[in-house]
Amino acid sequence: MDLKALKKQESKRKISKGYMWALFCAVFWGIWYLPGTVVWVLNPFDEMYGAIAEAGGDGTALIITAVLITAFNALTVMLALMLWNGVLGKFGELVRTMKEFHPCSKWFFLASIFGGPMAILGSFIAMGFIGGAFAAVAALLYPVVGSILAYYWYGEKISKRAAIGIGVIIVGGITIFGGGLLTELSSGSVQWIGYLGGLMAAAGWGIEGAIAGKGLDISEPDVGLTLRFVGENIIWWIIIVPILALVGYPMYSFALQAFEPLTLLVLIFAGITFGFCYVCWYKSFPLIGVGRGQGIGNLYGLFAIIFIFLFFGDVPDWTILVGGALCMIGSFVMFTEDTSELETLRGD
Amino acid sequence: MSGNRPIKFRILELLLDGKEHWNYEIVSRIQKEYDMQGNYNRDSINFDIIELASGGMLKDVEQKVDEAGIYKKGFLLHKYVITDFGKARSSDACLRFV
Repeated sequence: MDLKALKKQESKRKISKGYMWALFCAVFWGIWYLPGTVVWVLNPFDEMYGAIAEAGGDGTALIITAVLITAFNALTVMLALMLWNGVLGKFGELVRTMKEFHPCSKWFFLASIFGGPMAILGSFIAMGFIGGAFAAVAALLYPVVGSILAYYWYGEKISKRAAIGIGVIIVGGITIFGGGLLTELSSGSVQWIGYLGGLMAAAGWGIEGAIAGKGLDISEPDVGLTLRFVGENIIWWIIIVPILALVGYPMYSFALQAFEPLTLLVLIFAGITFGFCYVCWYKSFPLIGVGRGQGIGNLYGLFAIIFIFLFFGDVPDWTILVGGALCMIGSFVMFTEDTSELETLRGD
Repeated sequence: MSGNRPIKFRILELLLDGKEHWNYEIVSRIQKEYDMQGNYNRDSINFDIIELASGGMLKDVEQKVDEAGIYKKGFLLHKYVITDFGKARSSDACLRFV
């Protein structure tokens, strides 16, 4: 084979690998909404919600319970990732990267602030208040935030075609999001706190991706991502949960009850799917860029709806089907991009 | 000798001399410094170089087919040079010009 053909083949392989990671991310992310929705009706979270609601009202109960669920989610994700790094033999690199706080790991800790207390907490709030399908599609708008930040902040190129694809995906997201909202508006009872949770998810994940890119430039994704979840665990278990316990919420008594077989199983399932969705997400960025990685990863919205339909039997509205189809088309527009444009993602 | 900085930092450091380097030269040097033998580690280090290049920090300036099997027979070998963006990111990462 001659040089030119080999070069083309290699570049193609790299880009298809990047898209493959992004697609796996979408599947794992979509599945995550199953344990994320189920965990709300399991003890101790169900009892916790009831106990706090009696004293402080539904809204407070939901947020406090969401904090404990998110904290456990962060814990199981971190354990899954530690195992992953062990398998890859990357503990040495993990320690080396963690030590480089100023140039590198600070970006992962900063990303964890937006990813954890903003995006993941927002998602759990949306799941608890409105439902898994809504939580999934509400966050579909995050690539807008991510792509715009990546463009202005470190000059990542967004080709015309990628922009069109991202645009179509966003229109799809708005269709899904708007459909549910309009129905609720006409019936007169809108769960605003749930919608706020959806917006927190969209903004938080967009910002997280753009910030994490700064640290990913100069580190390995498997390692960077584990550090990002170490950061999130510090935020929940060392800062927020103790503060809430001090204020008087029964955080520890309910946290200790989480060690029931079924609850543990669901939490571990959440940890594995979410952990690997992140592994795939972060791996796709250096290969195809933050904007594209997020765009394809966005297919999770569709996967979530399919899985929720299959496992819970919830039949989606027509707006969800139309929106989901638009998401597929948008991703396909990005998929079929001429690969030569992708050889370098950023300007010199 | 075992390296004490993250591998990508060290790769950038090696390229900060501004000269062109073949990927197999960098890979085998990192393998030695970090005591990472075997094909799995070789590919993993090479993937770090690919990521740095697609991030715009290194530029792929020359390729040749590995006829003799010095790295991976029948595959492409790449020659890289650091870009201005790579130099800027390296200085953010507290690396110095040698």
